[in-house]
Amino acid sequence: MIRFYLLAMGAFLALGLFPKSHRLMNALASGNALLHLALTCTALLTLDLPVRYGPSLYLDHLNLYVELITVLGFCAAAPYAKGYTESLMEEGELDPKNLKLFYLAFNLLLVTATAALFSDNLALFWIFAELTTVCAAVLVSILSARENIDAGMKYVFIVSGAMLFAFLGLIFLFTLSARALGEGTLSWTELMENASSFSPALLLASFTFVFIGFGAKAGIAPFHTWLPDAYARAPSVSAILSGLMQNLGIYGILRTYALLRVSDSAPQASFILIAAGLFSIALAAFSMLQQRNLKRLIAFSSVEHMGLLLIGIGIGTPLALFWVLFYMLVHVLVKEALLFAAGILHRQYGSNMREDVRDVFKLQPRAAWTLILGSVAIVGMPPFPLFPAKFFILLESAEVSPYLTLAILLLLILAAASFSNFLLKAFSKVTEEGEEKGEGKETGYRKKSFHDPYVVRAGMRIPTVFMLALALLLGIWFPEPLRVLLEAIVLELGYV
Amino acid sequence: MIDPLYLEGVIKILFVFVLISAALIISTRSLSSVLNTYTVQSFLLAAVSVLLYLIDGKSELLLLAGLTLASKVLLIPHFINRIEEKIKIRRDLDFTYLEPTTSLLLSIGLILLSYTFLSRVFGDLALSRLFFFGAVIGLSLTLMGMLVMFSRKKVITKALGYLSMENGVLMLGIFVTELPFILEVLIVIDLIILVLLTSILAVGLDSSIEEYRAKIRKLQIWNGGEAL
Repeated sequence: MIRFYLLAMGAFLALGLFPKSHRLMNALASGNALLHLALTCTALLTLDLPVRYGPSLYLDHLNLYVELITVLGFCAAAPYAKGYTESLMEEGELDPKNLKLFYLAFNLLLVTATAALFSDNLALFWIFAELTTVCAAVLVSILSARENIDAGMKYVFIVSGAMLFAFLGLIFLFTLSARALGEGTLSWTELMENASSFSPALLLASFTFVFIGFGAKAGIAPFHTWLPDAYARAPSVSAILSGLMQNLGIYGILRTYALLRVSDSAPQASFILIAAGLFSIALAAFSMLQQRNLKRLIAFSSVEHMGLLLIGIGIGTPLALFWVLFYMLVHVLVKEALLFAAGILHRQYGSNMREDVRDVFKLQPRAAWTLILGSVAIVGMPPFPLFPAKFFILLESAEVSPYLTLAILLLLILAAASFSNFLLKAFSKVTEEGEEKGEGKETGYRKKSFHDPYVVRAGMRIPTVFMLALALLLGIWFPEPLRVLLEAIVLELGYV
Repeated sequence: MIDPLYLEGVIKILFVFVLISAALIISTRSLSSVLNTYTVQSFLLAAVSVLLYLIDGKSELLLLAGLTLASKVLLIPHFINRIEEKIKIRRDLDFTYLEPTTSLLLSIGLILLSYTFLSRVFGDLALSRLFFFGAVIGLSLTLMGMLVMFSRKKVITKALGYLSMENGVLMLGIFVTELPFILEVLIVIDLIILVLLTSILAVGLDSSIEEYRAKIRKLQIWNGGEAL
């Protein structure tokens, strides 16, 4: 079945090679995202899950949910991409010839991520996850400036190198299943059924290797080093997409950890998860403190959030898992709004640095407010939905150790402080009357003064507001179907 | 029929050569010899799988040897060679973090580490001595490849480190279990895509944007490689 999907998508993407106008290419990308959204919603509403089509296509609540998050992100990114790439081309940062490549990678990224999520076979999942890395790296290095290529390369090498370790883990899993069942298998469902009969030591070894691979994909410290560069150098759109790919890593870890839960090595595995999570949060919090680059700040905040997700998974109670899943959704919504706004500021000032931001409320009031509200949301203040998610994960972490809760709490406060520190310093600068005006940055291609407001195109504004509004809505009202869906996932993963 | 014991002896000798090739990739400074070493290493891998086929008689091993020969002995080295000619870098002199001597000492440690790790993990798994050693060599090769990626600066060398890591993974796969052949094909496809991507980007790294475009045009990657 996955073959048919790929064939259909291949034909669809081949269409994308014909159009010459930007509008058509963008419409195709939006259409692709909307098509996936429609398919996912239909599957969620009509199918009696879990279902399996053919040997490799497998749909259950978890992968449909992660797909829904991914597709939501793409649906918002597609209209934003139009305005953003247009202004990149106007200023000569993006070669118009590369536009087609950009959209090709954009669409391919969605297709490969979908194929990865829905393949029942771990090996297929691995290879598609690798392909998403390649597509995302193309998107990161699309500007063909030296720094971008650097960031793209770093991304490919770190993630792919780590993914080879994940492959080692798969080989171990395959051996395990061959010993327990007589014939080797890498299918999620079969492994889940038989995981209790596997040797715990070998299972732990394979989990560790798989964790290294998908941890790097998710941006877990110490494999996170690609992330700040990719976020800071890539055009905002691409940063969003590579951010979405982080969920794919978490998805892989979630699945593999579910295999281990029934075996004797579960405590060691959850220790690994919690330790890596705490390390990520700590490293991110301290890197954020004196961060002057807005996109880097957002990137490190991603590392921090992935760390918290890991801790949630490692705690291993159904309640913690429930909120981890909810967290994955909200994190994407808020992070996208933040990155969208950061992208608008980058267009305005031509830089991500704190020092270059001036008169922000006069020039870009909407983006400024989005950033402020987004920061309030991302650090987990009520009424935004990250508050209950963080609250319950912290509450559950007290069962592991109260010191753990205390440590996480302190680090989270540190992260919140760095956000407010950044915003206060960046947004409080106002040009006084009579002060020297019109000193635009003369960097070759940027001639216009940055006292003229950058005209934000409607396609860029709507997704930004939409994502933030959706996040706020989720904070005030928890929809019943979402609760049912999340509980179904918790049950399916074997948490009772 | 050749005596299996004799074949096992030959395989063990090949193991030693594989390790030597890994050490050479870590320490050699000339780019073309790194590439040659990688080619030899892939060839050794193919030879090992042919010998194993002679012992075991599993036809997947023969297919794997063929695939390795076609992709990693011929196609990928040829491509990288072309890139090396284009970017006109002959030597990779810079090492970050680790000097070759330190790396070599470290890699001895890595071999010991993978030995202890695997003997613990496979303790309850009845692997014959040869297969166990194969797995150890595979894992050490992977770790040494990682060391190359860490310590070398030029992108091409990093890519070769990645490739040799992948050789190690395949080696472990051959000896620990019988992976389905389709898996090996998938990995090779993945490798080719990665090599393509990284080497195109590598051309860009050492040049400004204008030069980069000119170089890409000269490479003729997109127009199917007309006269170079």
